[in-house]
Amino acid sequence: MTGPEIGTLETEMNRGFLHILALALLEKDMYGYSMAKLIEGLGYRVEENTLYPLLRRLEKHGWIASKWDVSEDRPRKFYSITPEGRALRAALLEVWNKQDRILDEITKENTDVR
Amino acid sequence: MSDKPRTLETYLEEISHFLSGRAEREEILSEIRSHILEKAATEHGGTGDAAIDKAVAAYGPPRKVAEKYLDDRPIIAPAYKRHLFRYTSILFAAHLLLTAIAVVFKKSFIVFPFLYMPEMGVLEALMYLPTAFLADLGAVALVLYFITQSGKDVKLPWPRFGADLDEFKPAKGFWAGRFATAVGAVIMLALTDLALYILSKYGTIFLYFENLKESRDPIPLFTPGAGRRLSLIVIAMLAAATMKLFIRLFTRSRWVDVVSNAVSLTLIGLLLRQPFDGLFVPEILSRFSPRFVDWAEHTLLILLLFIALMVTIDLVKNLVAIGRKKWGT
Repeated sequence: MTGPEIGTLETEMNRGFLHILALALLEKDMYGYSMAKLIEGLGYRVEENTLYPLLRRLEKHGWIASKWDVSEDRPRKFYSITPEGRALRAALLEVWNKQDRILDEITKENTDVR
Repeated sequence: MSDKPRTLETYLEEISHFLSGRAEREEILSEIRSHILEKAATEHGGTGDAAIDKAVAAYGPPRKVAEKYLDDRPIIAPAYKRHLFRYTSILFAAHLLLTAIAVVFKKSFIVFPFLYMPEMGVLEALMYLPTAFLADLGAVALVLYFITQSGKDVKLPWPRFGADLDEFKPAKGFWAGRFATAVGAVIMLALTDLALYILSKYGTIFLYFENLKESRDPIPLFTPGAGRRLSLIVIAMLAAATMKLFIRLFTRSRWVDVVSNAVSLTLIGLLLRQPFDGLFVPEILSRFSPRFVDWAEHTLLILLLFIALMVTIDLVKNLVAIGRKKWGT
């Protein structure tokens, strides 16, 4: 499989993963730049211009909330998870774990699947 | 604002342009501004022009950034996209028929409540048809747009006629295809030569053979001037078709078909520009009833318009095929 093909599929896989990741990170209040840097520090990378639209969509659905902090030199927009967001995160993690378990079983049964 | 570097504001203005109409535009721009200033200060040592430039470059081109905020909802749902050209072609065929009626019967009429067809000549009709096609395309697109926006699962009928482009597969057998093209090219060349021979002998290719057994000279069908002009145009069409087949031996490019279609349409246009009244010579008029001559003139005109329709459909089909290949849709 060629690079661009993997890239497209990876983007599709990332879409769901980023939702869980953002909901997991926002258990603690964070602003966009700090989230991007933290994710980068964990060995993963999210495009900066992808993160903000994602946060906006999550907020639109009421899964996260935001507020501007203007106490510092530069205004920062802090995000935090809502109770609805926690319920969604639990449901998404359940799906994630189920998928992970299925793949794990398949790879154990078929050693060729690597 | 005056203390902020100009490059950032210019960048945000460009994003703002692509986000016009969105209520949360200012909020989005504030988020991006905050992020870029934070990045420039943390990673590039401050908020000077050079640092901002680097942060802006990393954030991406304005249109790409704006598109991430736009809903992915299509103007026409993928399930209905195939209906766009199919319905337009049906509508345009009806439009073309009505135009032909308006031209042949020299009458204006209304197809209540949609359409007013004015009385028009052949030239006006040729000018009118491209506009009619765009109007038909627009009308179909508008209906499909409203269906898409309604979000309902409307099952639109799929009329089948001819071969679907989706099912079109190029003919198998390289040499078999080339051989058929070569035979066609030779036949067309022979026909063109024959037409040229008849033209040089009788001054026209449109002849009436009254009694073949008595081997009398044939009578020209049309008046000398019109007969010669029409003959030359028809021979040009034969020559163009011959040339296309010969070129086809060397390339399968659809552009050859597109150029051939365009040449054919131009020649048909030239044919249609000729006056069809008083076309026949007195010898022919004396042999047939005026009603028959009138019918023959109308039939000739309808036949030409039909050929023009077929060539136009083929032209659209070829352009769509080129577009699909180029943009992979």
